[in-house]
Amino acid sequence: MGKYMARRLFQSVLLFLVFITITWFLLYALPGDIVTQKFRTNPNIPPEAAETAIRRLGLDRPILEQFWTYVTGFFRGDFGVSFNQYPRPVTEIIAERLPRTIVLFLTAIVTYYWAGFIAGKYLAWRRGKRGEMAITVGGVGLLTVFYPWFALMAIWLLSAQLGLLPISKFLDPTEWRNAPFSANEVFMRLFWTVAITSALLFSVQYAANKIRDAAPARAIRLGGTVLVIVGFVFYWWGAGGVEIRPFAGDIAEHLVLPVLVLTLVNFAGIMLLTRSSMLETMREDFILTARAKGLPEKAVRDRHAARTALLPVTTSLVLAVATVIDGGIITEFVFSWPGMGEILISSVTSEDIPLAVTAFSFIGVMALVGHFVVDMLYGVLDPRIRVSSSQ
Amino acid sequence: MSRPLLEVDHLVMNYTTEKGDVSAIQDVSFTLNEGESLGLVGESGCGKTSIAMSLLRLVAENARFDSGEIRLDGTDLLSLTDEEMRQRRWNDISMVFQGAMNAWNPVYKVGDQIREAMDLHFHPRLSNAEVEARISKLFELVGLNPAMMNRYPHEFSGGMRQRAIIAMALSCDPKIIIADEPTTALDVIVQDQILQELKKIQADLGMSIIYISHDIAVIAEVTDKIGVMYAGKLVELGSTREVFARPRHPYAFLLLSSTPSVTGPRRKLAPLEGEPPDLLNPPTGCRFHPRCPYATDQCATDEPPMEDAGDGHQVACWNWKEVPELGGLTK
Amino acid sequence: MTDLGQRAPEPDLEANAEAVESQEIAKAQSLWQIRWALLRRSFRNNWKLFRRNRIGIAGLVIIGFFATLAIAPSIFFATGFWSTSVYDPVTGLEPNPPSQQLEIVQTVTDPNTQIDIRQVLVDGRINGNIGDVIDVTLQPAPPYGKHWLGTDPLGRDILSQLMYGAKAAFGLGILAATVTVLIGTVVGSVAAFYGGKIDAFLMRLADLLIMVPGLAILIVISAVVRFQLWHLAVVIGILSGFGGVAIVLKSQALAVKVKPFVDAARVAGGSNARLIVAHIIPNVMPLSFLYMMFTVTSAIQSEATLSFIGLLNVDMSWGLMIQLANNQGYLLQGGRYWWMVFPAGLAVTFIAMAFFLVGRAMDEVVNPRLRKR
Ligand SMILES: Nc1ncnc2c1ncn2[C@@H]1O[C@H](COP(=O)(O)OP(=O)(O)OP(=O)(O)O)[C@@H](O)[C@H]1O
Ligand code: SF4
Ligand SMILES: [Mg+2]
Repeated sequence: MGKYMARRLFQSVLLFLVFITITWFLLYALPGDIVTQKFRTNPNIPPEAAETAIRRLGLDRPILEQFWTYVTGFFRGDFGVSFNQYPRPVTEIIAERLPRTIVLFLTAIVTYYWAGFIAGKYLAWRRGKRGEMAITVGGVGLLTVFYPWFALMAIWLLSAQLGLLPISKFLDPTEWRNAPFSANEVFMRLFWTVAITSALLFSVQYAANKIRDAAPARAIRLGGTVLVIVGFVFYWWGAGGVEIRPFAGDIAEHLVLPVLVLTLVNFAGIMLLTRSSMLETMREDFILTARAKGLPEKAVRDRHAARTALLPVTTSLVLAVATVIDGGIITEFVFSWPGMGEILISSVTSEDIPLAVTAFSFIGVMALVGHFVVDMLYGVLDPRIRVSSSQ
Repeated sequence: MSRPLLEVDHLVMNYTTEKGDVSAIQDVSFTLNEGESLGLVGESGCGKTSIAMSLLRLVAENARFDSGEIRLDGTDLLSLTDEEMRQRRWNDISMVFQGAMNAWNPVYKVGDQIREAMDLHFHPRLSNAEVEARISKLFELVGLNPAMMNRYPHEFSGGMRQRAIIAMALSCDPKIIIADEPTTALDVIVQDQILQELKKIQADLGMSIIYISHDIAVIAEVTDKIGVMYAGKLVELGSTREVFARPRHPYAFLLLSSTPSVTGPRRKLAPLEGEPPDLLNPPTGCRFHPRCPYATDQCATDEPPMEDAGDGHQVACWNWKEVPELGGLTK
Repeated sequence: MTDLGQRAPEPDLEANAEAVESQEIAKAQSLWQIRWALLRRSFRNNWKLFRRNRIGIAGLVIIGFFATLAIAPSIFFATGFWSTSVYDPVTGLEPNPPSQQLEIVQTVTDPNTQIDIRQVLVDGRINGNIGDVIDVTLQPAPPYGKHWLGTDPLGRDILSQLMYGAKAAFGLGILAATVTVLIGTVVGSVAAFYGGKIDAFLMRLADLLIMVPGLAILIVISAVVRFQLWHLAVVIGILSGFGGVAIVLKSQALAVKVKPFVDAARVAGGSNARLIVAHIIPNVMPLSFLYMMFTVTSAIQSEATLSFIGLLNVDMSWGLMIQLANNQGYLLQGGRYWWMVFPAGLAVTFIAMAFFLVGRAMDEVVNPRLRKR
């Protein structure tokens, strides 16, 4: 396993180098003399300052040297300086935006993957029954719906018409005027508590599944879940959370609509995929064995069919990760969510090259990491791969 | 030894398809006694697996039981509720599947999959240690290293997987084991070993076994009785010795006459002219009549009933008396 | 020893097909005639299977509907039913927009300045004082006799734009799909057939292209090139052709490669290139068609998305219609300006869905494992 991981890691890094090279040269080959336009003829920057800036940023150096500086800098966490927000380093901008995107994506992926898997499981089990076609067509409809339009319609309906949720942005600026916390502080706090809570909940489930007897398993599942939730509530409503809570609540409230829309659009894909994967698994002989052993239908479905059908669904998660980033770009654009996707669009349209290259590279890194994680997950789920990769 | 355990009584089962009904089991009756072993033979597609699956009531969704009963210890399995039937599976009747290579779920350890069955059917449930002890014992019985129980199915060879399946089939002390082509995919030596082991296990534990095969010779040595199937019907039923010595049905006769000795060299034979019938539109009267050299006019219109040909040897043929003796054929 | 022989339980399709095949080959005059006969037969068989799939047929019907839309304006303009000056999707203008009499009854507080204005905003235009009865020109106009789907804020006919958008979508989709399949088939076949380093290189390239989100690439490329519609089609075609489609088609080609007839052709002295063209590619074709469908879906959506963000250089398309409605704030008023909000959005959705459904149905045909028993 270790060796396999190392090889995959090496491949990923190599792939990333190719990727960053192409991106860099593509964007630096933009038509027109960007440097002149951004600095020399920029009325906001005095001519001497512009020359200093160009020299300091190394923009007068040969292109290959500039590229080398960027790539070596990249691995040290130095992504250059933004053109449009000069002299703000790109690193700073990214550090501010990245968590916002990751939180949005992570929440959405976890939600839609889970929802889609459950829905697909039931759909497959109901094969041939009434409603199957309606659900399939509805699912395909959600999958192929024109996403920006759908998101705007959701805003119109849920926010503008019904007033249930805030319209856009990731927080309400009026509430934050005299806030004792920075948005990112609250954001990270929110992120970590949610991450830890989910991890704990997952461990409880995992531990309960390991237990053979139904009664204690149920007790552990219930008790553990309640305990974790109590802990969560205690943390936010206790002494530590009193001040920060309204702000966290504000962010959480802004998170709901984009996550909802992302989930609706993406869950159908997972659902349909789980369904076909389940249908294939259900033809396997071991499903017959499981039935012949006298297992109840629910156990056949969950323990045998679904567990094995999970494998291809997990592989597809790779592609899903990529599409959710695509969807994420639009989501951020439509909801004015100040994350990486929004940066990508704005920096590309305003020709802020260093920012654009970095934003794009990070999207690549995120896709690569997603790839990598899913690969590893696949190894854990499928004992056949686990063995062959350790040899 | 002679108490009837399983009685299949005039069973009729059809598969509903878009093109019409597939008559997979047509009026089949037989009895299996305690501790007895029965072989069902017939060419591919004649309904052997359909019968096996009917005994467990695990038939495909489009299957339809039209009449008949399957009585286990006097209870008609077809009239049980789903839940009652579920309780009986594996506990009363377990199965070694055709193509058991794929009968293991690849993502769970073999031992855990056996334990799953035991957890369902032992009341009160066995402790971990008891389960392990039992699996170890079963593994030794079928000639596997007990340590293998903590391995995944893909780490087993074909023969080992098949042995493990047999261990699993034994795990809940069933009254009957159905072995559907238990050794078809294995090489001849392993085939023999496994069959001999099954025979020994049966002698030790005393359960009944139904062997299913398309090759009479493979199961001849391990069965007490043999039923010959043709196109969804049981056409001949008798003790293995009788059927081999004096096949009464023309179909069985043609199968056996073309080979001089059961223990002689193995060869592939094509003793029969023509194709097996399409069960969507089975021939009227005797289903064998289009291919039968002894056919008379009656055969094309009237279905021959099962008749006793002496010694409990039953045959469904109008003209079985015309069929000559197989000279010099002994088992 | 008796062996009844393991015979397949049903007379299976392939054996049947082979019988027909040999008959046709016997009658045929040249190799190409054989190929043509085989192609026709496989098409016929597949169509039989496809026809049973209601979802797929529904998809075809929707596609047919949009195709009619795409063709209609040419007929309308040619027959003089529509005059260009009024109905042109880009430059047309309704000279006499409908109007409506309104009485101003209420004051409104300016949301920015928080000052009461004694005048009222009617659709963004200040029109008078309280109590006045005024004539308001409806622009965008709701649907009426002359404009079945109303007009946009510039007085252009929405139906005409929708139809023009359908034409653009078909052109884009089909071009992108063709490029995808051409590249995918060739790359897949070559990778499968030559193997080794060529294979490794092509597959790593495919990995790379799959990995990167397509929209992000398109956004970056659109910064470098001002995209025309057909540029976009070609780029999408290349991206998916070298990416996912190549991988799938490669595995299919691998399966074909080991078939006996390929060996036979090789023994008979066929060159590699010839083998690929004559044997591998025709056998990979059905699967390629399947991927064409999915490419059309994604191409149309990418176009609409890029137009929506404003990165595309097109004079009219569904995406542009939505962008216009959004930029001017009509989208967030939803139901009130439904004719500006729904036709284009639904058109993109439905056509993408239709191609996807057809693709799924074809998948069940090409991929027997998915078929109902
Ligand atoms: N679900 C089904 N629907 C329709 N027909 C079926 C179905 N299952 C089996 N059949 C048909 O029923 C007949 C009997 O099938 P069965 O599997 O019982 O044969 P078999 O004797 O076990 O053959 P084999 O030796 O190949 O395993 C065959 O003609 C088969 O085509
Ligand atoms: S009944 Fe007639 S056709 Fe059937 S096996 Fe006997 S002789 Fe042959
Ligand atoms: Mg069978």
